[in-house]
Amino acid sequence: MTGKKLSLERKKMLAGYVYIAPWAIGFALFMLYPLIYSLWLAFHEVVGVGNFDLESVGWGNFNKAFVLDTQFIPLFISVVQDAVINTPLILVFSLFIAILLNHKIRGRAFFRAAFFLPVLIGSGLAMQQLLYAGVGKDTLVNGIGVPEEVFLYMGPTFSQIVFDMLSRLTVIFWKTGVQILLFLAGLQGISPSLYESARCDGATEWEMFWKITLPLISPIILLNLVYTCVDSFTDINNRMMVYIKDTAFTKIEMGYASGMGWIYFLFIFLLLIIVFASTRRLVVYTGEK
Amino acid sequence: MSFTKFITRFNRGLLYAFMIALVGFTSLPIVYMISTAFKPLDELFLYPPRFFVQKPTLRSFFDLLTATDSSVVPFSRYIFNSLFVSVAVVLSSLVVCCLGAYVLSKFKPPGAGFIFSVILSALMFSPQVTQIPTYMIVSSLGLVNTYWALILPKIAVAFNIFLMKQFFDQIPDALIEAAHIDGASDWKIFWRVIMAVSKPAWATLIIFSFIGNWNDFFSALVFTTSESMKTLPLAIQTLAGGPGVVARTGALAAGTFLMTLPPILIFLLFQKLIMNTMVHSGIKS
Repeated sequence: MTGKKLSLERKKMLAGYVYIAPWAIGFALFMLYPLIYSLWLAFHEVVGVGNFDLESVGWGNFNKAFVLDTQFIPLFISVVQDAVINTPLILVFSLFIAILLNHKIRGRAFFRAAFFLPVLIGSGLAMQQLLYAGVGKDTLVNGIGVPEEVFLYMGPTFSQIVFDMLSRLTVIFWKTGVQILLFLAGLQGISPSLYESARCDGATEWEMFWKITLPLISPIILLNLVYTCVDSFTDINNRMMVYIKDTAFTKIEMGYASGMGWIYFLFIFLLLIIVFASTRRLVVYTGEK
Repeated sequence: MSFTKFITRFNRGLLYAFMIALVGFTSLPIVYMISTAFKPLDELFLYPPRFFVQKPTLRSFFDLLTATDSSVVPFSRYIFNSLFVSVAVVLSSLVVCCLGAYVLSKFKPPGAGFIFSVILSALMFSPQVTQIPTYMIVSSLGLVNTYWALILPKIAVAFNIFLMKQFFDQIPDALIEAAHIDGASDWKIFWRVIMAVSKPAWATLIIFSFIGNWNDFFSALVFTTSESMKTLPLAIQTLAGGPGVVARTGALAAGTFLMTLPPILIFLLFQKLIMNTMVHSGIKS
């Protein structure tokens, strides 16, 4: 009896490996191998561009990033700062909007589309064009008609803060579409019967949010947290990414670019390990119950 | 009684006003983009730039056609390339990543935890740095300048499997056990139970994946050299650089506008699937 069960179990695992195989092959070939290769490359530098001659430089590239290159550290700090400030704002704002959109309000489809459109446009080429045209700051602040007199009354430091907040908010509005959609999909996964029974027990909306909604979408919150973090770090328009790309493709210093890429990667990796470790107890997986 | 009714009405009205204000804010870039696409040449170079177009014209669209319509490759070829590659990547990635996520989330074979942590780490790595080694693989497989080069490397994406796994974790195991007891095979459970229940998740995946691939010019830039393999964003991107940039600003604005239409279409098609699927699936956890 147990023997038969074991073989069944083994059969199931075998099927599992077969199902995951196409993904695993693709991943190993086009992601894992390049990753390992780039680590190897980080300890080398291209000397002959024509036939890709490499020369071992030891820790030279890392030394260059931290000691010799005057641009790397300031860029790195500014990118980290942006991510740390933007991520919580984006998460709270997108959860808020997703909950609003999940209610039965009139014109729900319209609102959903309206909040997602910036993503459709903001990703890629169009965003660059708009940022280039200065929409990120002047046009939008002027566009929503904040009169200049308001800034005059507030004094230079305070108006600068308000101005920064406004332009940051604009960027955040553009970046929340994906998160709103993910939260919406997560909210849709919560069975309405839970709310009904809670309502019968006399729970308020506020209690239901903390006791039902939040725990049940916690895997999606984690997903969104990781997504937002990674998205803000690996955004093509992010100045660090531009710098790495220029180093690799314009200056043809592949080794140095790989080195910077790995420093960057290790930092995000550590950050997310901290995030995962600290949220482990907070995230509820219904599937495991 | 009527007072409380008034209060709820008032609250509702406040909510709408708030939402509409937010929408107004988020739609600014779109309005700006559309109005720029229809601006005549003199308005394009106004400083400070005006938000709305004064004398709308279709000239930029004709400029776009003449600027990209080289003698070798017609403009429609770029559109076909982009559409074909994006659709192929999205469909194959959907199947491959959902199957993988199904295994990771519900089979939990030995090593699943390790695979998942590898996926997480791969998420964080910037794709630009791995592009060169990927190119070497693609070229050693002899795929440079083929559609395979644009499709194959983007199927087994870390983010897609991560996203699907997070959603599959939400599905109660009891549902799968019930299907097992009813005699359904794993394969059948995947298609009839998992995929049916997680419609919002894969609809989301389709939208994201399509947008990402549609806008991507980087892999076409690295993996192809011939003019006939260029994708639409790359063709438009080449307009931005090179000589005669000033004359092509209009064409660029029109191209940017055209580029955003297919993602909007995909979004409108699939966003319906994201909502109201729970009603039919009948899970009670």
